[in-house]
Amino acid sequence: MKTVAVIFGGRSTEHDISILTAISSIIKPLELTGEYQVEPVYISKTGEWFWDEKLKDIQLYQSGDIELFMQKAPKVHLLFEGGLVLVKSSQFAGRKMYRKIDVVFPAMHGTHGEDGELMGILEMANVAYVGCGVAASAIAMDKVLAKQVTMSSGIYSTPWIWFYADDLATKHKKILEDIKQLKYPLFVKPAHLGSSIGITRVEEPSQLMNALEVASHYDDKVIVEQGVQNLIEVTLPIIGNNEPKPALLEQPLTKPEDFFDFETKYMRGGKKGKSGGKSGAQGYSKIPADLPHELYKIAEKTALDVYKAVHCEGIARVDLLIDSKTQKVYFNEINPLPGGLYAHNWQQAGMAPVQLVSELIRYAEERFSRAQSKNTAFTTNYLKQF
Amino acid sequence: MQVVVNKLITRYELTGKGKTVLLLHGWGDTLAGFHDLTAALSEKHQVVVLDLPGFGQTQAPAEAWDLLDYAKFVRDFLKKTKIKPSVIVGHSNGGAIALKGLGNGVLTADKLVLLASSGIRGEYKGRVKAARLITKTGKALSRPLPSTMRFRLRRKVYDTIGSDMLVAENLQESFKKIVADDVRPDAAKVKIPALLLYGDKDTATPLSYGKMLADEMPKAILDDISPAGHFVHHDQPEMVLNRIREFLK
Repeated sequence: MKTVAVIFGGRSTEHDISILTAISSIIKPLELTGEYQVEPVYISKTGEWFWDEKLKDIQLYQSGDIELFMQKAPKVHLLFEGGLVLVKSSQFAGRKMYRKIDVVFPAMHGTHGEDGELMGILEMANVAYVGCGVAASAIAMDKVLAKQVTMSSGIYSTPWIWFYADDLATKHKKILEDIKQLKYPLFVKPAHLGSSIGITRVEEPSQLMNALEVASHYDDKVIVEQGVQNLIEVTLPIIGNNEPKPALLEQPLTKPEDFFDFETKYMRGGKKGKSGGKSGAQGYSKIPADLPHELYKIAEKTALDVYKAVHCEGIARVDLLIDSKTQKVYFNEINPLPGGLYAHNWQQAGMAPVQLVSELIRYAEERFSRAQSKNTAFTTNYLKQF
Repeated sequence: MQVVVNKLITRYELTGKGKTVLLLHGWGDTLAGFHDLTAALSEKHQVVVLDLPGFGQTQAPAEAWDLLDYAKFVRDFLKKTKIKPSVIVGHSNGGAIALKGLGNGVLTADKLVLLASSGIRGEYKGRVKAARLITKTGKALSRPLPSTMRFRLRRKVYDTIGSDMLVAENLQESFKKIVADDVRPDAAKVKIPALLLYGDKDTATPLSYGKMLADEMPKAILDDISPAGHFVHHDQPEMVLNRIREFLK
């Protein structure tokens, strides 16, 4: 039986969402396959690593008992020895427990995890892992870089500008001047955060400065985007390596003014002020999106082009904005670890959660095996010349 | 919506049109606790409601705050968002913040509504009084116990006395400062019309606390809400709404 380590939590504003994704959408389905020994690895908000069977229980976090657990539990050390090995004290006679990991399943949202940092550790450990690699994760989690990379591949974005947060205090006139090129409404976003944290929809100039301050408070880079008229928002979950496979285009059912902020996405079951919809991230949505066939195909192709341009592997979700009058499709964002892996969408596309996680493990192993066939080091007599 | 106030990310909601009503929630609560009241009042008013620092999606202060610090934060929030409330509604600790702010000229409004406001200190009776004494000596007595057991025991004692000490553990030092501050002297300086609503089954802030505050305030009307506990606006939403609407006419 293969051993899969699911790593979640972390020093991120999306820490709690990561716990939900890990336990509900990854650990449970992986265990249901009966093919994997699943080891939960939890990273606290302050960055300590823990590995324990108890960490699979959502109650531990909901009750607040996780704080007590962390006071008592031994921390985990990582050993890079022919792959990745988890090490912790057995708390008995000074002995240690070791667990060799075959595949890592990162379930981290946001900073210090989804942004490529964790993938860097896993690359150094030379272990197979699920999802995008270091570069794709870093690009995807930087909205500015993602737009620059996709633009260079001929994919359209709505007009946008960006600036360093530190410059807001010293160069705000220049920043405001640049923003004047854009038409309202605007969306002001921290460049690196997901789950709509720190995003403000700005209707008029009087609201702009507060929005810029909020985004600058969260991140060192801020992006300001022009809103799309006659908007249809769609998102497409995609899996795969060299031959990406799309799920179904999904259309969130909110009015433009109710854009999906953090609370709408995660706290109110998907739609502001209402209840009774599907629970979880973006519960109120139409799957497949209600688009004319041709437009659906254009949007699907655009999302797949984005996936390839950023060199995503394993899984990602591409968000698009469509002007329903002009039928123009714009790239909005790419998310390398969709919340809950967007299992609800895959389910409708004919892939059950158990199948989804198994496929993702398979892609991870395929990529790892491909990478092992590449030479990254070879013997030379270079040093002997000196 | 969010705004940065004194370097703290602050979540707030602004709904409706008309005279502005500011809602201040209690300790351990968030703006969501006012969800229904916000919806009902915003039919005829502009309603602004925020997560106070340390609660919901507003950052916690870096140091321990007292009631006046919270009142000053509310003032700075209003200044930043250019909102001028005509009416302040405060539940529990939100009521104590309102009294502290209004009594010291930090906040201004034309009318005040207190829902089971806290702020009366040292008037404990019977079992609660005994349990409070235990908390004073309990720290030393429970020291030999394992940390897990000590933590659970502590929680049990604070639950028994109805204390919110452990509701927001990262704000314990702020909580200690707040519960050491009796707002009766501040209430005495609040000259605007005030409506005080207290639940007849409220053990955290009983009706007698409302009477004590009302006695200090020259233009106070005290009403009991029955049957209702500490969350009067949840237990009797219609009754509370009607009283507030009548008062705001």
